[in-house]
Amino acid sequence: MKKSLLSALFFLGFSVLATSSFAGHHGNKSAVVPEMKQEAVLTGLESPWDTDFLANGTMFFTEKCKGFSVRLPSGKVHALYGMTGSSGFADAGEDLWCTNQAGMLGIAVDPNFEKNRRIYVASASTKYHGAGCKTNFERCDGNIVMRFEVSKDFKSVSKRTDIVQDIQFKPFESNHPFGGNGAHNGNRPTFGPDGALWITTGDRHRGVCPQSPDLMCGKVLRIDTDGNAHPGNKPPKGYDKRIYTYGHRNVQGIAFRSDGHVFTAEHGPWHNDELTMLVNGGNGGWDPRQNMGGRGECPDEYCGYMPNQKKGVIPAVRAAFMPMSDTRFADLMPPAWQNNGYSQGTSSIVFLEGKQWGMYEGRAVVGIMGIAFGGTPAGMRLDVYDIAKDGQSIKSVIHLPVEAKRYRGVTLGPDGALYANTDEGEIYKITAK
Amino acid sequence: MSRFALCILAFFSVNVSLAVAGDVEAGKARYAQNCYICHGPSGKGMASYPKLAGKEISYLVDRLERYRAEERFGPNSDLMIMNAMPLSDEEIANLAAYLNSAKVK
Repeated sequence: MKKSLLSALFFLGFSVLATSSFAGHHGNKSAVVPEMKQEAVLTGLESPWDTDFLANGTMFFTEKCKGFSVRLPSGKVHALYGMTGSSGFADAGEDLWCTNQAGMLGIAVDPNFEKNRRIYVASASTKYHGAGCKTNFERCDGNIVMRFEVSKDFKSVSKRTDIVQDIQFKPFESNHPFGGNGAHNGNRPTFGPDGALWITTGDRHRGVCPQSPDLMCGKVLRIDTDGNAHPGNKPPKGYDKRIYTYGHRNVQGIAFRSDGHVFTAEHGPWHNDELTMLVNGGNGGWDPRQNMGGRGECPDEYCGYMPNQKKGVIPAVRAAFMPMSDTRFADLMPPAWQNNGYSQGTSSIVFLEGKQWGMYEGRAVVGIMGIAFGGTPAGMRLDVYDIAKDGQSIKSVIHLPVEAKRYRGVTLGPDGALYANTDEGEIYKITAK
Repeated sequence: MSRFALCILAFFSVNVSLAVAGDVEAGKARYAQNCYICHGPSGKGMASYPKLAGKEISYLVDRLERYRAEERFGPNSDLMIMNAMPLSDEEIANLAAYLNSAKVK
């Protein structure tokens, strides 16, 4: 009997410990697994890439090769601004185009939308190519961020202003796996709690990009809504003042934890993906230049898929040769999570907020798009990460119980639901209770 | 071999060829194993992966056979070569039949 009582007390103590082990860094003590429900809000879209919301549920969304639109709370959709060759939009930019991974990608609503009615959209554009896109070894300014004003009836936009005109773009196919033009654009604009506009970019398959002081490729930018550098940015001396962090490969996701820390989800090469807590002025550690880090010459001066880039290589060997977070950099930002030898295509990230999420409250949801080849398991899921308070590790990762889809974007709606857009053409609303 | 015997052989070869014309349902099942991950449901295409639904059978068979032979077409060739190399003639015929008939939802 006494032994049973001791056993019961031990079990009770273990249960308390187990419960507190679920506690997030926000003081979330819930161990409740929420009941999930997934329903389609929009279907039949063409590669929807990003969404953002007004407080009343009005949803702006992009389609990679068409343009951006708005869905009103009534369910009515207005096509606002299209790309070259698109139809049915109230207006269009003939300089906006799509190819392979590039096109109209991220969208963000101004925190002061009720007053200024502004939204921000990132897209590939030919407007600023100038003479700089004749080869893959020139700067080629081909990704931009535009600001628009939305009409009061939500049927049109006006006053297009290109607030960032010089994010680099890959103009031609190169000798690399997935080497088509338009590769690695990042392009997920997001407003932070500081009111600043954060822009993620990609290395556009150019070796010199990520560590370059004056090219915007392979960076995270922090700017105001006119495109000016945030005064608090601390890039290394001689670097463009718009740079918050540098040394990135292809940052498709960025999100802010409730304690103010900003995290990126970065799509890796064949042997990795990463979630990283950013440090002002920090270095992501991606440096695919040839003749650097012990490497020799590489195809088209980009070592990002080496060694032996067309064939299978043991992931650890590849990671040692071409690390995603190279420890030779003193200002390296170590990742909170890395994908242990796989690249499964991290896309977007958002932190779940609200008690309805139970044990997931405060954790990060990330789209894992993975196409499954070369021994890598498929992605097609949303993962939930419990990231440590110091941002240097994770406590756990689980799969969210949702349909297997190629989740390109995740956004938390004003109703506390998770909105997830898929490359298959849907926007889902995922609720918890 | 006599000319007559050659004619008989040719006749049966044609008929064997007709006999392995693709099976739509088998192609659908093979497509669902992993092809859909890039090319989307019903071959509608997504991201940088092209639409396949409704393409001509001859085109689909030709491309799959040539990818299987490690021939390159465009930037995603490495990916397609890896996926095509394990395919049998029958699987290629089935996939082509299914994708030719597929309707994008």
